[in-house]
Amino acid sequence: MGVYDFTAKMKNGAEKSLADYKGKVLLIVNTASKCGFTPQFAELQKLYDDYKEKGLEILGFPCNQFAGQDPGTNEEVQQFCKLNYGVTFTIFAKGDVRGENAQPLFKYLTAQKKFAGFDMNHPVAKPLLDALQKNFPEYLEGDGIKWNFTKFLIDRNGEVVARFEPTTTPAAIAGDIEKLL
Amino acid sequence: MVKVYSFEGCPWCVKVKNYLKARGVEYEVHDIELNAEDAAECQRISGDLTVPVTTIDGKNYVLGFDKKKIDELLASA
Repeated sequence: MGVYDFTAKMKNGAEKSLADYKGKVLLIVNTASKCGFTPQFAELQKLYDDYKEKGLEILGFPCNQFAGQDPGTNEEVQQFCKLNYGVTFTIFAKGDVRGENAQPLFKYLTAQKKFAGFDMNHPVAKPLLDALQKNFPEYLEGDGIKWNFTKFLIDRNGEVVARFEPTTTPAAIAGDIEKLL
Repeated sequence: MVKVYSFEGCPWCVKVKNYLKARGVEYEVHDIELNAEDAAECQRISGDLTVPVTTIDGKNYVLGFDKKKIDELLASA
């Protein structure tokens, strides 16, 4: 069983086989499905712009399991939404990424690469941990996805090589991606 | 007729529609995700694919859920 054995539902409802991405370096991310201040989208788009020619594909999976509890910032919430979040990489249909109803791909990814803690140096780490303890203490148990923007890096052979928590920004993993390209 | 450019899953679009309903204003919904023509029109009006865009004449528009500006737009019609 590997990444290429899974399918993912596209926005139009059709199933896409991940085998279509054989030979590419993949960054699989669960994204926030709500609108507002989501700076990681912009950084992910930058990674995509920088590396797509060299063989990087970014696959975004919107999920609302973490909605409405944004712990991260005091920024003023933008009162509008951008179609496709303003990104040009692939965004799949909305679905669960943790728990019983999680998409099989995410059950597989989280089994391959376990939760190894947040980077507590990241400014969001402390409020994120507090918010989880307060609102979703069960999310902290086990290896399931903890929050929006957990990232899995897959090499050209379909091997899951790394997991990055929401406290690692997309810009910070550029070096890891380059090594695989 | 008031037009609201929007797409599903956009909470600010819902707020605009609810606000118009509460004010008793009739409006048309144009989904820019489902309809390419509506997307092109939204892009023409505001220069971006950002919603909600509320307009009456396709020239003056309000981006986002801004009650004050929506009131002004309705008053100008």
